[in-house]
Amino acid sequence: MRTYFSDLRAAFAQVFAHAGYILLASALALAVFLFAVWFPNFDLMGEVFSAPGVAFTAKLQIALSLLGGIVTNFSLFSAGYTIAIAVLFGINTAMIVYLLKQKRAVATGQNFAIGSGGMASGALGIGCAACGSLVVSTVLSSFGAAGALALLPLQGEEFGILGAVLLVVSVSLMSRKIAALVSCETVAGERRDANSQSHRKVTPSTVNDSLKSTR
Amino acid sequence: MKPETQNKVAVAVVIAAVVVTAVVLFILMRMSYLPDEARVTQLIDQRLAQKGSSISTPGLNEAQVIKLIEDRLPDAKSGPAGKGVNEARMIKLIEERLAAGKGALSEKEFNERVERGIVAFIDKQRRAEQERPKQLARNVPPVSKSDHIYGSPDAPVTLIEYSDFECPFCKRFHRTAKQVVDESKGQVKWVYRHFPIEQLHPVKARKEAVASECANELGGNDAFWKFADRFFELTPSNNRTDVDNVLPQIAREIGLDERQFASCLVSGRHDKRIDKDIRDANASGANGTPWSVIVSKSGKTYPLSGAQPQIAIKQLTELALQEK
Repeated sequence: MRTYFSDLRAAFAQVFAHAGYILLASALALAVFLFAVWFPNFDLMGEVFSAPGVAFTAKLQIALSLLGGIVTNFSLFSAGYTIAIAVLFGINTAMIVYLLKQKRAVATGQNFAIGSGGMASGALGIGCAACGSLVVSTVLSSFGAAGALALLPLQGEEFGILGAVLLVVSVSLMSRKIAALVSCETVAGERRDANSQSHRKVTPSTVNDSLKSTR
Repeated sequence: MKPETQNKVAVAVVIAAVVVTAVVLFILMRMSYLPDEARVTQLIDQRLAQKGSSISTPGLNEAQVIKLIEDRLPDAKSGPAGKGVNEARMIKLIEERLAAGKGALSEKEFNERVERGIVAFIDKQRRAEQERPKQLARNVPPVSKSDHIYGSPDAPVTLIEYSDFECPFCKRFHRTAKQVVDESKGQVKWVYRHFPIEQLHPVKARKEAVASECANELGGNDAFWKFADRFFELTPSNNRTDVDNVLPQIAREIGLDERQFASCLVSGRHDKRIDKDIRDANASGANGTPWSVIVSKSGKTYPLSGAQPQIAIKQLTELALQEK
C-alpha cells in the first residue's frame, strides 16, 4: 500500500509539474462532468438554444442552472461516483498522454484498455439512482432495460461503481509505470526491474536527465 | 509473456472491444429503424396510390398485395412492439409474387419504383426517429378537465409532470414545482400525471397512483393535491412505503370517507386512466421520472428530464412566457 501511494505521489509530481497536463486533465474532467449532468436534457438544451428572439445570455443561464442537477437529480452516492469518474478520467488521460509523449506507447495499451472500460462502464451508470440508468434506458428502451436494471441490487449504479474502480486501477498501473520511468534508470541508460542492483539513486537532477534522454 | 506482447494483446483487445461496441450500436440503431407491419402496409398503400390505379398485374390488386405482406409476416403481427420486417425481405416478398404473373407494368420497373419508395420511406422514418424527442414532446395530450391542476387554470404556461409516487426524485421535484407555481403570480400552472415505474417500484407505485385518483374522486382536485403533498411528506420512497397503513392514514387526515376510499382502492376503476398516462408519458419521450414538459401559451414545448433545480425551472417558465 505504501508503495502504491509513493508511486502515485511520484507520478503526480512528475506529470502535473507541467501546467499543460493540469489543464488537459481539468478540461477533460469538466467535459465528462458536463456531459453527465446535461445528458438527460440534451433535447431541452437543443430547444432552448434554437429558440429565436432570446438573448444568448438567457440561454446560457438556463444551461448553467441545469448544472444544479448534480445536487437535485443525483443521489449523494451517484453524484460522488459521477464526479470521481470525471476526475479520474481526466487524470488517467493526462497520464496516458504523458507516457505517449515519453515514447512509452507500448506501455500504455493495457492501461488504455482498463481506462476505456472504466469510462464505458461509468457512462452506463450515469443517471437517476432510483429511476434507472439514463444511458441504458435511453439506448435500450425498446429492449426492456428498465426491467433488467430492476434485477440489479443497486439498479444500475453498479456500472458507475465499476467504472470508478476500473479507472482507479488504470491510474494506479499508470502511476507505477511513470514512477518506474523516473526511478529505475540504470547507469548505462537501460531500464531494468526495480529490484535490479544496478539502479542509481534518484535525485531531481537525475530525473530531469533521464527524462531528457527519453525525449 | 513479454511486456511488449502483453501490451500488443491489450491494444488488440481494445480495438476488438471498440469494433464490437460499434457493431452492436449500429445493429441496435438499424433495428430501431426497421419499419413495422403498419409502416409496410402504409408504404405499399402510398406507392400504389401514387400510381393512380391498381397495378395491372394479372391476379394481383392493391388489397392482395397488402394482404400478401400481412399474411407472410405473422411475426410482425404477433411479435412485440417495435419488431419489424426489413427492407430486403419486403422487396423479396413483392418480387416473389410478381414473378407469378407478368403485367403491363414491367416487373423491373415496378421493383425499381417500390425500391425507391422504400428507400425514401426509410430515410423519412430515420429522420423522424432522430427528431423523435422533439416531436413526441409536442404529442403530450393537452390539459383537460380531468387533469389535476395546481395553480390558476388560466395560467399561460403549463408544467406537465409525469411522476411516480415511489421515486425519491419525484418527491424532491414535488416541492420544487410547487414553489415555482406559488412564486409565479398566476403565470404557471402545474399538471400532475401518473408514470409509475412498475419494474422498479412493483405494486406500490401503481397502488399509490390509484389512491391519489380515489382521493380526487371522493374529494375533488383539492383532495388530490392534499393527498399528494401529504404522501410525499410521509413516505420514504424507493418502494419502502407501508401502503396498508399510510394510505388509510392520509385518507383520514384529509377528511375522506375511509370506507369509500378503501372500496375505491380495490375497484380497479382508475386503472385505465393510469395506463393511459403511462402510454402518454412513453409516447412523449419519457425514459424515467420525473419527466416534465413545459408548454407555452403558443404551444411551444420544452421537455425536461429529472428533478432539476428550482432556478432552472423558473428560467424555463420565463422563457416559455416570452413565447407569444
